[in-house]
Amino acid sequence: MTPNPTGPIADLRYRNYDGKLLPPNQMWWVIARQSIAQALKKKSLWFLMAASGWYYIIMIIILFFVEQNAAGSEMAKVAMEQFLEGIVWKDQFLNGFVFAQLSLLLVTLMIGSGTIANDNRANALLVYLSKPCSKLDYLVGKWIGVFLPLFVLLGTPTLLFYVYGALTFSQYGFISADPWILPKMVVVVAISAAIHSSLIVGVSSLFNQGRLAGATYAGIYFLSNFFTVLMSFFFQFSKGKAPDAVQYLTYASIDGIQTGIAKAILNTKGSPPFGFMPRNPATPIPAPNLTVALLLTALVCAVALFAAWRRVRAVEVIG
Amino acid sequence: MSFVATLQNLTVRYGSFTALNQFSCEIPEGSTGLLGPNGAGKTTLIKTLLGFVRPETGTGEVFGLDITKGERRLRQLIGLMPEQDCHIPGMSGVGFVAFAGELAGMPAADALRRAHEVLEYCGLGEARYRNVETYSTGMKQRIKLAQALVHGPKLLLLDEPTNGLDPAGREDMLDLVRTVSHGGGLSVLVSSHVLPDIERVCDRVIVVMKGQLRAAGTIAELKKLAGHPVDVELKELNPAFNRALIEDGMTVLPGARTTIRVQANASPAEIHLRVQRIARTTKTQVRGFRVAERSLEEAFLEVLQA
Repeated sequence: MTPNPTGPIADLRYRNYDGKLLPPNQMWWVIARQSIAQALKKKSLWFLMAASGWYYIIMIIILFFVEQNAAGSEMAKVAMEQFLEGIVWKDQFLNGFVFAQLSLLLVTLMIGSGTIANDNRANALLVYLSKPCSKLDYLVGKWIGVFLPLFVLLGTPTLLFYVYGALTFSQYGFISADPWILPKMVVVVAISAAIHSSLIVGVSSLFNQGRLAGATYAGIYFLSNFFTVLMSFFFQFSKGKAPDAVQYLTYASIDGIQTGIAKAILNTKGSPPFGFMPRNPATPIPAPNLTVALLLTALVCAVALFAAWRRVRAVEVIG
Repeated sequence: MSFVATLQNLTVRYGSFTALNQFSCEIPEGSTGLLGPNGAGKTTLIKTLLGFVRPETGTGEVFGLDITKGERRLRQLIGLMPEQDCHIPGMSGVGFVAFAGELAGMPAADALRRAHEVLEYCGLGEARYRNVETYSTGMKQRIKLAQALVHGPKLLLLDEPTNGLDPAGREDMLDLVRTVSHGGGLSVLVSSHVLPDIERVCDRVIVVMKGQLRAAGTIAELKKLAGHPVDVELKELNPAFNRALIEDGMTVLPGARTTIRVQANASPAEIHLRVQRIARTTKTQVRGFRVAERSLEEAFLEVLQA
């Protein structure tokens, strides 16, 4: 048979697919995987992920030099022991977590604000729901698609610091001070990622533009944060004599509630960063009641997810 | 004849509005057009076939699967090409179609291979790595067809497949649809307001109005006129020929240009013989003879007005 030099190389006739079709049980994972793959394509995400661990990195550098210096003389060793005695290890985890909040917000906005809003704009639900994929699969997939990157973003530097501390400073109480610090931090990080994922999925579902959803979420975040900072100043000025309500209101923001839950789980009031000992330390704000904080947070997240559930409507097949 | 879907006495209500009212029909294998005015219940019918809407009463099966149970397996057997533009933002053509395949349950490697194959078939081979959002209207229509075909459905639901296409794009799209439905091994249900498109692609039609079935059958049956009239095309009109036909007991109606429509209480073959005999005696030259039929549009309007 003589090949046709002007014809297509490939056989372009339609052929039906007769390969394997998997049972449609885990469509949520297909959606989550695709969301994560889309997120990982953004170069700035990698930068923010690296930047989110800046507190731990600086702390590791300080500890490394203190330890290296101590090997030089007996006096330096004594100074190192004094420095380490002043350090509350679990507070370093708390500080690392608190200082990662801004990066966490930016990453949430980057990967979460358009997660449903962009689908609304592009009528992507027609594609999702005409396949064997339920509304629940869609929402769970979108939620996991935001949750997992946030969990990894917060968890990786935490784990790195834990491994460094456990290998180098275990004789200075790094593990013995709180043997459960790692599981506790896993819970803290998971709760934080869950709060951001639930809220951004809820907000995103309300819009047709990712930017509008992002601006709204950032607005809610910073306004509520401004309020809690005001409450915090008020608490400091009153030298801790403010009513209990003020104390709790210092946690009434997206950022604040995460710090409050972290304090309650780690069972600490917090201490200054990098082991510094200021002459006039601020009055530490006690942790909120964990059960109440978790219940309130779960309620807010449930409201956000319920909004998303209502907004993701059945497919309009014909306009 | 075997059927891909069988619906019996389906009633679907949205609040107090009845979208489908005791609707019964059978959708045969092959290519079927879904016709009806706006608000007739076509949308609801497609939603019901996909298992999105649960009927209040009645039963229905698509490939033997009960549509009232909302089984997900059902949507593995169906491909939907919606009317509206729809895509997943930020994805290339091949990424989008492969993802649609994965959503339908295909293993990732198979989905990617098949996406390339289907995009080639739909004429998007060279644009497959471009972001879908940069596609033209015609390309977006094609990629919607590709995402509906990727998992090898047994039934393809097409909603206004030629919407927004230029004449050349329309021709191409109709060719694609006709090829998959004729010899491609899958059945097609096309919902469209453009009757020539339906006529070109489909062999059968279902006419829906006010949530009820108004007509169903082959296009040829629907276009057929009562009483077997025939159109006789002459070289030139001849009054003597017309008079002779009337004297022979036939009804003669004027047609377009040199064509006359002849009707008698006889089969078209018998009419043919009688017309030939009279043409010989009146020395009239007959250039064409065919069984008369109406256009699909006329048939559609008549069904709606009935």
